[in-house]
Amino acid sequence: MDLVFPLFTSGFISNEVNLFLALFIGMLFGFILERAGFATAAHIAPVFYFKNTMVPKVMVSAIVTAATLITLGVLFGYIDYNNIFIPTTYLWAYFVGGLIFGLGMVMSGWCPGTALAGIATLKIDAIFFALGLLAGMYFYFDIYDASEGLRHLANDANLGRYTIAKALGSEDIRVSYIVTLVVSFGLMAFMMIMNKIAKNKGE
Amino acid sequence: MENRYLNPITAGVLLGIALFVSFIIAGQGMGASGAFARATAQGVFHFDPSIAHNAYAGKYLKHGNALSNWTVIEVVGIFLGALLSALLAKRIKPEITRAKGYPALFRLVLAFGGGFLIAIGTRLARGCTSGQALDGASAMSVGAWIFMLAAFGAGFFFAFLFKKQWKGVE
Repeated sequence: MDLVFPLFTSGFISNEVNLFLALFIGMLFGFILERAGFATAAHIAPVFYFKNTMVPKVMVSAIVTAATLITLGVLFGYIDYNNIFIPTTYLWAYFVGGLIFGLGMVMSGWCPGTALAGIATLKIDAIFFALGLLAGMYFYFDIYDASEGLRHLANDANLGRYTIAKALGSEDIRVSYIVTLVVSFGLMAFMMIMNKIAKNKGE
Repeated sequence: MENRYLNPITAGVLLGIALFVSFIIAGQGMGASGAFARATAQGVFHFDPSIAHNAYAGKYLKHGNALSNWTVIEVVGIFLGALLSALLAKRIKPEITRAKGYPALFRLVLAFGGGFLIAIGTRLARGCTSGQALDGASAMSVGAWIFMLAAFGAGFFFAFLFKKQWKGVE
């Protein structure tokens, strides 16, 4: 049998090994988050006031790097793209969820991943953020159970495994890749221009 | 160990490589919010087993303990990895990050409130900045960009409400 990635889905490693490796994958992620300076709200919140380009720079370079490696792996036949997990796209839920998330992000200066790094470095605001997360989860469970309206919002407009290529009527991963590059670099350029404008206005 | 922060592009490329490693091993990228949802389900179950019949939390509990899950273990790793990095750089210090003179209590209330909202946002969007935005965009999903544009759009739109809290914070 040829070596096909991902290792877990193609049966090269067992569930136990996969779970064991999850710890090290997480450690890698946490280490980089802290090194990038994301263990403090002071480097996240200013992004919303065009005072800092750290977040878009890190996110865009991560997305471009990972997307490039995945695309190459698929094109050379080492990666089975169908086994690369893509969350099911629910159009309205994603849009409304994103809006609520964004309000929460500028209010708190955290997101769930960075808050873990914040707690590790004893940021008290990260601890309160995490308590809010737990309370919010419980609230959602309750309302989801009780409200048919919320269940509709959450589960309607199901587009399935909706890749960029699929949305454009193609099956070619290169279509997805090119659009990803254009959108990523476009957004980074936009953020850098807005920061420059904000800086000039401030002087 | 060197204790300056990494250049953002370097950090991003390293993060992208880590993401890729996660994808080619496990078939999925790194997540965070799912672990908080599972911890809530398991924690509530401890006091009130009837949560196992909840239309949402029930799916976490039907295979036994909600915490025996890839993302939960990976999240423990995030905490340990960040702790290791911060220990090496001597960056562990109790702090409530906010504008100079801004009341600590208000800051903690807003941190809690933001967490509450973000929990709801992640359940609707099936993930957060990690599991939805970074992973989805790397795997070239449309949904990740819908989520990201909505989230950052709302962040910019509502930023005026929290100006005092963040004044001078850089």
